Amino acid sequence: MMLASFPTMAALEVGKHFYWQLGNLEVHGQVLIVSWIVIGVLVVASAIASRNLQTVPGGFQNFMEYALEFIQGIAKDQIGVKHYREWVPFVGSLFLFIFVSNWLGALVPWKLVKLPEGELAAPTSDVNTTIALALLVSLAYFYAGFKERGLGYFSKYVQGSPFLLPLWVIEDFTKPLSLSFRLFGNILADELVVGVFVLLVPLVVPLPVMILGLFTSAIQALIFSTLAASYIGEAMEGHGEEEHSDHHG
Amino acid sequence: MNFLLLATAEESGAIALNPDILETNLINLLIVLVILFYAGRSFLGKVLTQRRAAIESAIQEATQRQQRAAEALADEQKKLAETQRECDRLRQQAEADAQKARETILAGIAADIEKLKAAANLEIATEQERVLTQLRQQVAEKALAEVRAYFARGLSDDQARTLIDRSIALLSQ
Repeated sequence: MMLASFPTMAALEVGKHFYWQLGNLEVHGQVLIVSWIVIGVLVVASAIASRNLQTVPGGFQNFMEYALEFIQGIAKDQIGVKHYREWVPFVGSLFLFIFVSNWLGALVPWKLVKLPEGELAAPTSDVNTTIALALLVSLAYFYAGFKERGLGYFSKYVQGSPFLLPLWVIEDFTKPLSLSFRLFGNILADELVVGVFVLLVPLVVPLPVMILGLFTSAIQALIFSTLAASYIGEAMEGHGEEEHSDHHG
Repeated sequence: MNFLLLATAEESGAIALNPDILETNLINLLIVLVILFYAGRSFLGKVLTQRRAAIESAIQEATQRQQRAAEALADEQKKLAETQRECDRLRQQAEADAQKARETILAGIAADIEKLKAAANLEIATEQERVLTQLRQQVAEKALAEVRAYFARGLSDDQARTLIDRSIALLSQ
């Protein structure tokens, strides 16, 4: 009886979703709900932090300014001092959304709420979210490249040797692929590991894994935003190198 | 048994609460949250305090620098005003000096003109005198010469006789 009931009551649900029908589209409702919560948290936090601005920041304003400086640091390190300012909002939104998604997914007891199907979790544990983010990054770096260099951006593809052209083209596809799957895989795997541990030993034993999960979640947010900024910076940077090689060629 | 009932209930159901504390991982999450809160508070607290202190000192420094700059500005402005006043004073004095010098020089020139005029008049007078004397002398000399010439021509006998006759007539009267 116990053996028979165990899988039913404690099965981990993967690939089951709380579908919403929007026109012809079936969307994953649980992902959208948590995404909205994440967005709400970010908006409310920004609003609270900037409601009563002080010259000498204290309390929450100070914390949010610290976060902003951190984000600016990521953008500045990867894109360079000259162009980083216009990309801080994009890179920062990526970092904050992914970070808050991951941590809310790991820290909020979502399982308290039972959905008809699927379960609430970090939006980043759904591959659709991460692919959307990664495609945004692709658009962003193409936009940055074209804006900075015009059609000369394509010279990057044949810069070293024309034989490398296929590799460069492939890279444009592997970049979003690796970005999205790295994030999705890490977060989903972390949730699964925690879920499995909780199934096996409900108390105390999952704790190290959960803390490790928090750590990796933060690192994943950092990696995603750093790589995004680095791709953008790379797309814009080629200009200087091109001129450089022209001078010597 | 209870779980089975719950599970069957869920199959049909809409959104509901899951009352199973162990399955929802509530206790572990609370522990993690508490750990995170304490660890994060000490770490973040330190970082944020440092940040605040750095900003405060930067603002204080900037304020001090602004104050110093304002003081220096006021100082220089005072100096400027003083210099301006000194300038005005010097200019006024210079103008007064110039006026005075002008008057002195004009007065000196007038005196000189008078003196020169007087000297010229005097000279003219003396020259006139001299010329007059000279003329007079020349006239006298000419007259004398004429007289001498007249006498040098001598008297004719008739004349001498008439003269002597007249003189005798005079004597006899």
